[in-house]
Amino acid sequence: MHDDDFPELDTRLAQLRGALAQVDAPRCVEKELMQAFASQSARARPWYRRLGMLEWSAAVACALVCVAVVGLLSLPPRLADGFDDSPLVRIDNGGAFIALDSVERIEADPAPRLIETEVSRTMLAALGLPVTPENAGEAVRAEMLVGAAGEPLALRLTSID
Amino acid sequence: MTITPTTSDDELLRRMRSGDAPAFAALYRRHQGPVYRFALLRCGSGDTAADVVQEAFMGLLSGRLAFDPLRGSLPNFLFGVARLLILKHEEPRRRESPLPEPDDDEAEPVLEEACPLTRVLASEAAEEVRRALARLAPHYRDAVILYEMHGLSYGEIATICAIDIGTVRSRLARGRAALAKALRLHALGAT
Repeated sequence: MHDDDFPELDTRLAQLRGALAQVDAPRCVEKELMQAFASQSARARPWYRRLGMLEWSAAVACALVCVAVVGLLSLPPRLADGFDDSPLVRIDNGGAFIALDSVERIEADPAPRLIETEVSRTMLAALGLPVTPENAGEAVRAEMLVGAAGEPLALRLTSID
Repeated sequence: MTITPTTSDDELLRRMRSGDAPAFAALYRRHQGPVYRFALLRCGSGDTAADVVQEAFMGLLSGRLAFDPLRGSLPNFLFGVARLLILKHEEPRRRESPLPEPDDDEAEPVLEEACPLTRVLASEAAEEVRRALARLAPHYRDAVILYEMHGLSYGEIATICAIDIGTVRSRLARGRAALAKALRLHALGAT
């Protein structure tokens, strides 16, 4: 677009553009806007959104510790004392029955058979039976219940004393 | 997530709405200059232009001004908001001296207090053009500033000023002619 009666108009407008190129709003405007933004953000966000990742992590960790403590305190005494009532390990009259698989699996096996063997006491310790330093090196006579496919189902110790 | 010059306005707006202060600061720094320069040339007062910029961005951050990216770019939205704020600022004076009809292409009488002649720019040549621009009727000034200073298209100016493209074209032609006349007279007066 040209104006014939004032051909240098575009040049003059370019001068104005150049002079304005570095003109910005006063710094105080940004400062006031940022303050307004901060106060509005604090107002608009509920307390749980103001917490950062660190605060949330700490809160979750505290909650988990509390739940764990309450859970341990509320355990039934029989569970806290050990596994004496567990159906998988039963000790009676100096002998012990140790189920190596679930009771349902043992009962469901079509052709279980008994194999006589000897088991070291150190291995029995791993199964939860009492072992003393004096008898740790001895072996105990045992009858192993084996499933039809040959997998061990249970162990019966005839004398562990 | 860091903010780079290529981070889009939409992304910055999304982060601003979720309370990200650096995103709002980046958005402000990206757009304050053009909005301030438009307001400065449009109303002729640095203080009023600063108020306009502050109010426009305040509306953006408070959600009072609903920007819809589907209806245009953020800079054009801010130009439109700034223009409306300036019109609101000029309202008392316009009530005293009514504006011509929107399609009236005749130059209107200039209100001295609407275009203060206090010095704004350091360059004498540029200041002379700014003063001549400040003497244009406001509806001519809008078109000339947005087209000549900000490089906006006729369509963008039409959207910002809520007029049709033909009116933009005629206002721009009349505005430039009036500006050329004022500068020519000033040059003749100087010689």
